[in-house]
Amino acid sequence: MSAPLLEIENVSRAFGGVRALDGVSLRVNQGEILCIIGPNGAGKTTLFNIISGVMRPSSGDVRFQGESIVRWPPQRIAAAGIARTYQIARPFVRLCVRDNVAVGALVRERTLERARCAAQEILESVGLAALADRPAGTLTLTQRKRLEVARALALRPKLLLLDEVMAGLTPTEIDAMGDFIEQLQERGIAAIGGVEHVMRVVMRISHRIVVLDFGKKIADGTPAEIAADPRVGEAYFGTSLDGAGASSPTKGQS
Amino acid sequence: MHAALIGQLTIDGLLVGGVYALSALGLNVIFGVMRIVNLAHGEFVIGAALLAAVLFERWHANLFVVLPLAFVLAFGLGALIQRAFLRRLPEDLASAETTSLLMTFGLSYFFVGAWLAFFSGNFRSVPYLTGAWTIGPFSIAQARLVAFVASGIIAVLLAMLLRYTALGRSIRATSQNLQGALACGVDVERVRTLSFALGTAIAAASGCLLILIFTVNPETGANVTLASFAVIALGGLGNYAGTLVGAAVIGLAVSFTGYFATAQVAQAAPYVLFILVLLVRPAGILGKSGA
Amino acid sequence: MRGRALIAFIIVVTILALVPPFLNGYARSLLYITVLYVALAYAWNVISGYAGYLSFGQVTFFGLGAYTTAISVVRGHLPWWEGALLGGLISAALAVPLGYLMLRLRGAFFALGMLGLAQTLQVVANSWQLTGGGAGLFLPPGSNALPVYYWTLVIGLLTFAATLFIDRSAFGLRLQALREDEQVASTLGVHVTTTKVWAFVISAIVPGLLGGGYAWYLTYVEPVSAFATRFDLQAVAMTILGGIGTVWGPLIGGVLMSQVSEMLAAQYPQAYLMSFGGLVVVLLVFLPRGIAPAVSAALARRRARGAQGHQ
Ligand SMILES: Nc1ncnc2c1ncn2[C@@H]1O[C@H](COP(=O)(O)OP(=O)(O)OP(=O)(O)O)[C@@H](O)[C@H]1O
Ligand SMILES: [Mg+2]
Repeated sequence: MSAPLLEIENVSRAFGGVRALDGVSLRVNQGEILCIIGPNGAGKTTLFNIISGVMRPSSGDVRFQGESIVRWPPQRIAAAGIARTYQIARPFVRLCVRDNVAVGALVRERTLERARCAAQEILESVGLAALADRPAGTLTLTQRKRLEVARALALRPKLLLLDEVMAGLTPTEIDAMGDFIEQLQERGIAAIGGVEHVMRVVMRISHRIVVLDFGKKIADGTPAEIAADPRVGEAYFGTSLDGAGASSPTKGQS
Repeated sequence: MHAALIGQLTIDGLLVGGVYALSALGLNVIFGVMRIVNLAHGEFVIGAALLAAVLFERWHANLFVVLPLAFVLAFGLGALIQRAFLRRLPEDLASAETTSLLMTFGLSYFFVGAWLAFFSGNFRSVPYLTGAWTIGPFSIAQARLVAFVASGIIAVLLAMLLRYTALGRSIRATSQNLQGALACGVDVERVRTLSFALGTAIAAASGCLLILIFTVNPETGANVTLASFAVIALGGLGNYAGTLVGAAVIGLAVSFTGYFATAQVAQAAPYVLFILVLLVRPAGILGKSGA
Repeated sequence: MRGRALIAFIIVVTILALVPPFLNGYARSLLYITVLYVALAYAWNVISGYAGYLSFGQVTFFGLGAYTTAISVVRGHLPWWEGALLGGLISAALAVPLGYLMLRLRGAFFALGMLGLAQTLQVVANSWQLTGGGAGLFLPPGSNALPVYYWTLVIGLLTFAATLFIDRSAFGLRLQALREDEQVASTLGVHVTTTKVWAFVISAIVPGLLGGGYAWYLTYVEPVSAFATRFDLQAVAMTILGGIGTVWGPLIGGVLMSQVSEMLAAQYPQAYLMSFGGLVVVLLVFLPRGIAPAVSAALARRRARGAQGHQ
């Protein structure tokens, strides 16, 4: 019953001399919220690129529900139930917001009409329904972040990869996004979030936290274990994690 | 087939390659700064070539008078085009690349028509340097050598401009990192205008040299655009050293196919090479793959 | 409203179908040319407008269709329409592998790749004995233009129907999604390669089918006119004028410009090239979306006002 949903085994990826990922292994269970934290350039986005199939690892294996997916093209991975968002939101700017979401819904729905219906429902759940007919290019940054999530949800994924969905949001918006991610679990969706800062929410919503540093996994455990781990404090925060209760300033988009 | 023949064709090809390299450099300057592939490039080359031919027919105008003249005229024309049209491309319609391609495609036909109106559809050449020097078994056509050397000189001047002048530094900064250039207070609009003007002027200069070797008419511009683009596609977009390699390859292809097949087939040769290479290595021979 | 549009459509098609036999040769050829150019613009609009891959060499397939037909008629003694059909089939068959190869290239690479392909086929046609070399091939003279007109009309209507379908279907949405961002489209489950190859095939089969009719209509083919990139310039200018990536754009632009195009191209090639090239440039600055979106915005405004009035 509790076979892991996603298994990443010994994945490495180098860019020229840069080892963006170096022998990373981790597992994600059904319905789990896992946060991957790590400083700038730690390899979070690279990991998401590999899981979602837009990039191949130099070595290592990725298994989803027991099947190896490293050689699969992105659309097959998406159809199998892994959805992702992009760190810098990439809406289809000339399509309306509803159609942005409908693209993903087409994986499950036979007709365009039904995909648009499904899209409308999802837009309501993320609070973008009023903007459904607007071209996505006219959205604000916050709205674009939500659209990223809405589009990914349209695939009705079992696993959702959220790459820095909180970066650039205000503290109130961050809380709202945190609540939203917590609710995913009720729908049976596991989520992996790559997060650079915003520790307050990470501590609250995560079931488990993985810490990456220079492409290596340096810690993996419950929020309490991570907070107590001295290596993490050193590598990542320069000090201990005590200060993490207050939300640290969030990084803007790079 | 004699080794001497191969040597001769190689020399011819490399000498022509010098002119292709110059033309491609013009295309590359514009691409570097503006991220625009100027589809009207060949029309500027051909326009200058025809101007040189007409001035030679009428007044036996010397190449070294015509070339600076064409350079200046093209510089002004390029600045005008950038200011009046390219700068005003809408940004929300499609990707900037799409609109700029459509626009320079339109420009290219506008100029084909304009050159037809000015120069008629006749094929022209400049029978200016018709002699050849003989070195051992090889003969070196004066026209080709002069075109090659002049291209080299202009290319070196361009390199010095890029390296040692304030404008050159701005151009390089903008090519490498637009945001950085903006942050450093570079007047990017001005740099764009000057680079487009400069790229156009270099096209014109290469046209004045090309006409020493080839016979052209207003409708041959597309072939020049294809050949120049093939050169930088082979060498990798934005890669200046690669441009020289690409130009040599294209020059050789044209020279060998021109001898063993027909002049017409030689015109298609750059294109065929370009496609073959791109299909194997989409980023060019020397380009970084996956870029 | 939809009902009224349908009725208007049926009336127009009926007129287009019934009137030509009663027209004189000149008027008939005007009508033929308009329908031909509109259909070619629609075909271009699929790969370049909806899928976002600018092609400056779709004329490749037009020339291929023209030559296939000429060779079938002259050397194979087939009826012209069988040759034209064959031209369409060959174009479609060629477009599949070609699409897989060429659509890996983007932007300028694809655009120039297609342009160069047309140039290369021109060289081939010029140098090959089968195609009659530079002189080209002559078809039996005295042929009737009417069958060619109907052939073109039917294909034009099918192309229009295909565009309507694309605009309203899942396939069309996928196409537009990949036009905006291929990588994102693929992580949202869009099979990018298959989708764009299909679009390319549609954009190839139409000129492939129409080229044969054109050859029969002119009663000859030769390399320069069969692979003339002016056909692409025309499609570009007409589609931008009407509205690129829209259902009505090619029709509006094509109807407005076909006559000018045909007259100028034959008599004043310089003026033709300058005005069409210049038009593309000017439109991109002043009316980049074209006429169709402006008209539909105005209609929507009127409808909104009408709805208010009823309340
Ligand atoms: N496509 C690429 N080409 C070259 N280097 C890359 C590429 N993608 C990532 N890198 C490098 O790999 C390393 C890891 O980058 P990655 O984007 O995965 O980090 P990250 O944890 O997501 O950081 P950030 O907080 O900036 O988003 C960095 O050094 C980066 O420069
Ligand atoms: Mg990242």
